[in-house]
Amino acid sequence: MRHSLRLIVVVFLFSGICFGGYGQARHPVYVGVRQCAECHRGKGMGSQFSKWLHSKHSQAYASLSKPESEIIAQYSGILEAPEASVICLGCHATGAHAEEWEKDDTFFVEDGVQCEKCHGPGSEYMEVMSDPEAAARAGLIMPTLKDCQSCHQDKSSHLLANISTQMGPEERMELIAHPTPKVMRLKKTSELPEMVSDSEFKYAGALQCSSCHDGSSKGYQFSKWRLSKHAQAYSVLATDKAYEMAASQGIGDPQISTKCLKCHTTVFANPVGGILDSYSLDEGIGCEACHGAANKHVESGDTSGLNAVTEELCLTCHQDAHGIRFDYEEALKTIAHPLIPATVAKKTVYKTPLYMAIHPDGELLYVACEASNSVIVVDIQTLKKIDEIPTGRQPTCVAFSPDGNEAYITNRLDDTLSIIDVSAGKVLKTIAVGDEPHGVVTDKEGRYLYVANTIADSISVIDTVTFKEVKRLAASRHPWALSRSSDGSRIYATNDLPRFVKFREPSISEVTVIDTFKMEVVERIEVPGANLMLGMDCHPEGEFSLFVANRTKNLVPMTRLIQGWTITNALGVVWPDDSVDQVLLDEPGLCFPDPTDVAISPDGRLALVTSSGSDRVAVVDLEKLIRIIKESSEHERKHILPNHLGKPVEFIMKHIPTAFSPRGVEITPDGKLAFVANSLDDTLTVIDMDELEATATIDLGGPEEITKIRFGEQVFHSANNAFRRQFSCHTCHPDGHVNGLTYDIEPDGIGIAPVDNRTLRGIFDTNPFKWEGTNPSLQRQCGARLAVFFTRIQPFTEKELESLTAYICTIPRPPNRHRPLGAPLSGAQRRGKAIFERTVTNDGRAIPKDARCVSCHFPPMFTDRQIHDVGNEFDYDIDSIFDTPHLSNIYDSAPYLHNGIADTLEEIWTKYNPEDEHGVTNDMTKDQLNDLIEYLKTF
Amino acid sequence: MKKTFIIVLLLLAGGCTLDCFADSAKQKLPYIYTDWEHMTAKNGLPDDHIFAVKVDGPRVWVGTEDGLARIDKTSGKIQTWKESDGLPWRVISAIDVSPKTGEVWLGLLGGGVARFSAGRFDHFHQLNSGLVNDVVYGLAFENDNVWVATTAGASRYNTVTGEWTIYTEKNAPMEEIWNYGACYDDGKVYLGVWGSGVLEFDVATENWKDYLDPDGEMEIDLYRDDGIVHVITTGVSHIDGVLWVSSYFGMSRYDGRHWRGYYAHETGLPSDFGNSVEGRSANEAWFATDKGLGVCADYPTDTWVTYRMDPETLEGIAVVSVDNKELKSLKTAKGVPHNHVLCVDFDGDDVWVGTVKGLGHAKGAGYYKSLK
Repeated sequence: MRHSLRLIVVVFLFSGICFGGYGQARHPVYVGVRQCAECHRGKGMGSQFSKWLHSKHSQAYASLSKPESEIIAQYSGILEAPEASVICLGCHATGAHAEEWEKDDTFFVEDGVQCEKCHGPGSEYMEVMSDPEAAARAGLIMPTLKDCQSCHQDKSSHLLANISTQMGPEERMELIAHPTPKVMRLKKTSELPEMVSDSEFKYAGALQCSSCHDGSSKGYQFSKWRLSKHAQAYSVLATDKAYEMAASQGIGDPQISTKCLKCHTTVFANPVGGILDSYSLDEGIGCEACHGAANKHVESGDTSGLNAVTEELCLTCHQDAHGIRFDYEEALKTIAHPLIPATVAKKTVYKTPLYMAIHPDGELLYVACEASNSVIVVDIQTLKKIDEIPTGRQPTCVAFSPDGNEAYITNRLDDTLSIIDVSAGKVLKTIAVGDEPHGVVTDKEGRYLYVANTIADSISVIDTVTFKEVKRLAASRHPWALSRSSDGSRIYATNDLPRFVKFREPSISEVTVIDTFKMEVVERIEVPGANLMLGMDCHPEGEFSLFVANRTKNLVPMTRLIQGWTITNALGVVWPDDSVDQVLLDEPGLCFPDPTDVAISPDGRLALVTSSGSDRVAVVDLEKLIRIIKESSEHERKHILPNHLGKPVEFIMKHIPTAFSPRGVEITPDGKLAFVANSLDDTLTVIDMDELEATATIDLGGPEEITKIRFGEQVFHSANNAFRRQFSCHTCHPDGHVNGLTYDIEPDGIGIAPVDNRTLRGIFDTNPFKWEGTNPSLQRQCGARLAVFFTRIQPFTEKELESLTAYICTIPRPPNRHRPLGAPLSGAQRRGKAIFERTVTNDGRAIPKDARCVSCHFPPMFTDRQIHDVGNEFDYDIDSIFDTPHLSNIYDSAPYLHNGIADTLEEIWTKYNPEDEHGVTNDMTKDQLNDLIEYLKTF
Repeated sequence: MKKTFIIVLLLLAGGCTLDCFADSAKQKLPYIYTDWEHMTAKNGLPDDHIFAVKVDGPRVWVGTEDGLARIDKTSGKIQTWKESDGLPWRVISAIDVSPKTGEVWLGLLGGGVARFSAGRFDHFHQLNSGLVNDVVYGLAFENDNVWVATTAGASRYNTVTGEWTIYTEKNAPMEEIWNYGACYDDGKVYLGVWGSGVLEFDVATENWKDYLDPDGEMEIDLYRDDGIVHVITTGVSHIDGVLWVSSYFGMSRYDGRHWRGYYAHETGLPSDFGNSVEGRSANEAWFATDKGLGVCADYPTDTWVTYRMDPETLEGIAVVSVDNKELKSLKTAKGVPHNHVLCVDFDGDDVWVGTVKGLGHAKGAGYYKSLK
């Protein structure tokens, strides 16, 4: 009844809006395996239900409780617990991508891979299954082997845990074969035993226990039961062996034999006061068989119906059952399911200091530590760590209020800002900001706070009294660092991605300038040829501002690296009139890879620039630098200086070695000391600014052990494995993501076969790699091939390669910003989903299965990991077949298509799908395309 | 010589003003704009065809058939942008300024919309974004959203989330989908839809309400003041609780309870063919028509001021009328630059008027509301 009512409401709400014209009048919902069992149980129906119960599919959800699941999740970049991850649930449960209203009350996710996972949600076809054609029209799917591939291709993450998900087709089908007999005989549920009339206790069923007794905090008790033989005690009675044993004792169908059911089901073992509707015989020996009828416990927590488990109780069934010797102590170990959380191997948690800020009084240094989700407080007098304050996830940048009372920390993974009470040393408040915040700074008075929302391409302006966002300003692409001018009138923002430019044209980046009085963007300064603009600092007297950037020559083959200037690294100067100069920090044979941050000394005489790829800090003599620029002609400033490898020797005074991967750099207000955050060493290097020497190292308290993944992270961020140390993996994949460029990789001619740079976030199980799909593994992708086409130096050692790929796998997939975990779809997303899965065009033409969106981009990875020709061979291409990309967080990895020719998701279909080869889309109206894109953004 | 000419003009204008005050002793009159300045391509505008004008603090943005102009009111300097300067499309049909961020959004007739921020144009069109159609007639800011009136429906772009929403006959009461005008006021968005009257969108509830011509007659207004005069609307302006509407067959005013229709034959409207309307208050609205500028200067007394240009002498003519009776007619050295008026925007006491041949700047020294 509830099911029907809900369906009516849903159909009323969405018919004609969501699904009108898309082929189905009523939207099917998941009803759960027990609804299927109403007909599909018993020998007359081939014991289909019992066969499922006895298969690994029924245990798929429960298997997420195994310790290896956590390892697999880590190697898939999954941040949530496996049982809460939509990626894991996509293969270990049914309806993982469905909304709650699409699941009936009779549906339980704990049933794992149920009938409806393969055959589609069953509410509509379950009543007409006797008519195959009608059932098909009502949504019944008869899956093919390709459908199984969505989960059963080998997954690298699972292989690391020695679990193979790949099977041969025959083997796969044989294991789950459940043919329907030619002559079907429906079987009613077994009659229940006579209950004890005066008992107030009834069986509620194991699934009722699951709501409180599952998950890591409850020791995965329910899942452990589900993985035990107890949970299969009923289904085992449908096996051939059970029939043989029964026959030997003169019993017909064991599943209706009271004699068998007495030890193979809960209620027959001890009928008590009967059962609730939620109980099912199929659960076999459920929790209540040992712990007692739990109707009162489920309802109110009352434990009066529960009983202690004793050897005597077990022996009522296990005493020489089927000739098997029973050892009580051993049995307890086998089925142990303690309430205390499962012992998890202690994770090695590093600090990974990124950016810092010095308190206005000059006595404290706050260090944002990405890996430990904390801010470490350092006493500048004693150079000691004095406190560590927990923050949100992946804290990145720090700023203080001008009065020093508060510190502001951006939490990149949570899209939040932590506000710390400095005197109390604790977080006062956490507020939501835009997507993936990086830079943070206040205006001079501290009245407003500016936060760079990197993924959202915007800058939030936040009132520091109410901590409400008052406006959001449009930046360029991926605003990164913010710096306030000395007079406080302006805030400068670097943008790490270049603007969209015409196909095969050099990149142009932007410094976005905000007028703090008007709180408006007043300048957008173009920086030609630059990309990956990161750190920025303003001169104390307002003479200029400095920023760091890459100058990547991505239009020529990467193999030109051997000439030494494919990826160059620059320091930029922004003048008060908003003109820009750029000079290189590289010298012939001595590159300065991955310049990350810059700090100008209080006297304006020196600048320190970190090179996270070569573990050095460059000391720039600003007087010389400015003189060189000013003495150059306009032509030289525009064309020579930005590319001149010989000039840095004239203005770089020296290089100061640091530890692994220096990122942020700060100089004390008195100009005596500088601090460099060695992100992959968990230390700070202290530089004496008079001596220009590293004089001390501050240990932030990270673990001494260097794990394989940490070592891989160091390899990833080091330029040691590139010719003349020109770049690291991080150069093209900052934060494991993209730098927005298309590259000409191979020496096949200038501009031939350009390819878009793809994100590394959550890519592990999406092999093959490379747009051509020719590299079956990360080891192959990052191995000798990388040396040939990119680094032009000896390939990684075996240890380096193994560690590097291990690290890449763990680069997390950030949470989806368009659909928080478990949130219902919006109206547009819901309509878009219907289009994504549609089978007919607007005018009623059938869409071939291979031409449907969902056929190649099926969940949970939204890729079939195959190569296809989708009609996207352009002038410079040498092939037309490309790997199907995964669509995880697709909204933040523009540009699109193999060569990055599409600036937006819309263009994929409005411009580059004229023949409907990349899905049938040309019949769609504009609002349908908008809806489709809104849905794609939820992946 | 030139100096002498200017002095004569000033004397003429001054004489007119004195004349007005002389009349006001007999009967209360509305303020009459007598001091007009004209700007055309000769003054530095990119084109004479002025399709949109928007006052933005010390600046005035001007959309023309061939480029964008920004007039610095303090210095009088005009800066222009054409396609060669990065403007994504030559014809600018609508302009609005984000009250929060100061970004200028441009409606491009045939080219979609553009965000103009600190010298950079970001182009959104139907191929690279969720905009429903590139033929754009109107723009209006509503909180963080930009509403775009297009020939194939209305689009709403959320500048924070980047989401586009389309409103057509599928999800709004649009009998026709040719959206002309858009405005936002007091929690509601109003769309003037060619053939579908006025649509009101309640931002809080996301509910629509339509205002149609109740008598359903295309050519005649069968019952007076029973609703909007005609469903072929071109402009909407909501202010102080009053909705002003222009259509191709007369104009309307709605105070939330009562409608009032206006026609040229019984008011100071120069023509029933309205291109747009801009309300200044609940009692004052300026109607841009194909035969001049009609100003309902005082609603309670039905007092109008009609501004035209004498095509023979090129002088301005201002006519004050009440209940369609002419009270006063006066000539000014300059008036509207052309009688085919397309757009209007207020600038404190001043008014900017776009026509098919130049931009008019009516200077409102001593402007007063209602009558004196």
